[in-house]
Amino acid sequence: MPGTAELRALRRRIRTVQNTQKITSAMELIAASRIARARQAVERARPFAEGITQVIRDLSTAADLSEHPLLVSRDPVKTVGVVVITSDRGLAGAYNSNALRRAERLIRALRSEGREIALYQIGRKGDSYFRYRDESFAATWFGVTDKPTYDDAVDIGERIVADYSGERIDEVHLVYTDFRSSLAQVPTAVRLLPIEPRQISGGQAYPPQFVFEPNPDEILERLLPRYVEHRIFAGLLESAASEHASRQRAMKAASDNAEEIVDDLTREANRARQAAITTEINEIVGGSEALAEG
Amino acid sequence: MAQMQVLVVSATRELYRGDASAVFARSPEGEIGILPGHQPALLALEISSVRVQETDGDIITWAVHAGFLEYRDDQLTVLADVAERPEEIDVSRAEAALDRARQHLEDPNYEGNARAELRRAEIRLRLAGA
Repeated sequence: MPGTAELRALRRRIRTVQNTQKITSAMELIAASRIARARQAVERARPFAEGITQVIRDLSTAADLSEHPLLVSRDPVKTVGVVVITSDRGLAGAYNSNALRRAERLIRALRSEGREIALYQIGRKGDSYFRYRDESFAATWFGVTDKPTYDDAVDIGERIVADYSGERIDEVHLVYTDFRSSLAQVPTAVRLLPIEPRQISGGQAYPPQFVFEPNPDEILERLLPRYVEHRIFAGLLESAASEHASRQRAMKAASDNAEEIVDDLTREANRARQAAITTEINEIVGGSEALAEG
Repeated sequence: MAQMQVLVVSATRELYRGDASAVFARSPEGEIGILPGHQPALLALEISSVRVQETDGDIITWAVHAGFLEYRDDQLTVLADVAERPEEIDVSRAEAALDRARQHLEDPNYEGNARAELRRAEIRLRLAGA
């Protein structure tokens, strides 16, 4: 009978789209709940950041900073380390392409100044992006960005500080995605090393009876790598929150789109069903008239 | 009784905020106890334990990986990369991490810092008393 085959095909398509929609809306819900947790992690890490920054500021009035290798700008700068944070998984809207575009812009600017680039890639998406473009990596880390732990940040920080101290790189920049709100995530590039003096200036001098164990220079020696690690940690947390927010938005759009497709297909299916019924009635009426005439 | 405000913060969260009558820790130059009214001080902490004696006599202990202790104006702050209560340490996980770190040490292509992984796993195990 005409129309039935078409009807069956339409119903099958509706079911397929509905199944996809179930997946996208589940992913949307998961992402939404992870945003809240990622935001909390950012908030909870703040007291430490404030504490360590304050101590470094105060300490820098007591210790001699001009000599510290993590604070001194090198001349000339030959190789620049670029740390890029992307996600491991896709389906996160424009999150990765925005972060990568920011990284690409930074790399182009540095190359135009004649710098060599050493890439430190965190997250698979950036890895495949740069690999496709024949870039090589100084180091890569996977499985970190979804739910960053402090141990991860320490691993990454130690490697970067070691390469910097070993003069394999003369400057380090970090590209991460800053979570401003659930609607706005901004890919951002900051300089990690050498530490910019204005970030650690403005401390209050310690009163003279203060005791230091060990001496202020040595304490600072221990503190500064921690400070770098914590900035990487903060970058990872901000990026994770941004990733989840982007994914939620992308999955919401996908679910809404699926809804629309189901509506259209349903309308089409109804039309096909109506056509099938009309044809059937026509045939019956035609048949009975033929019989009556006979 | 004299008391001071104590704040213990790790890189990932605030662990403790309260009043205490004494705090014990280990700096590179040895074990140190701080009572209210102590001379203001800034100490680097060794990989060790930090003990806070609360005003009611209870003692709370944390395993600290790398940290700093600042005391001034009856306000004591411990900033630690990682600080864990011994009972929070997952011994089997730390043991697995130890094995992994040993393998990483053998592997010339390993890109992470195997030595640091080994150190962290060892501290956890030592402080968990395993």
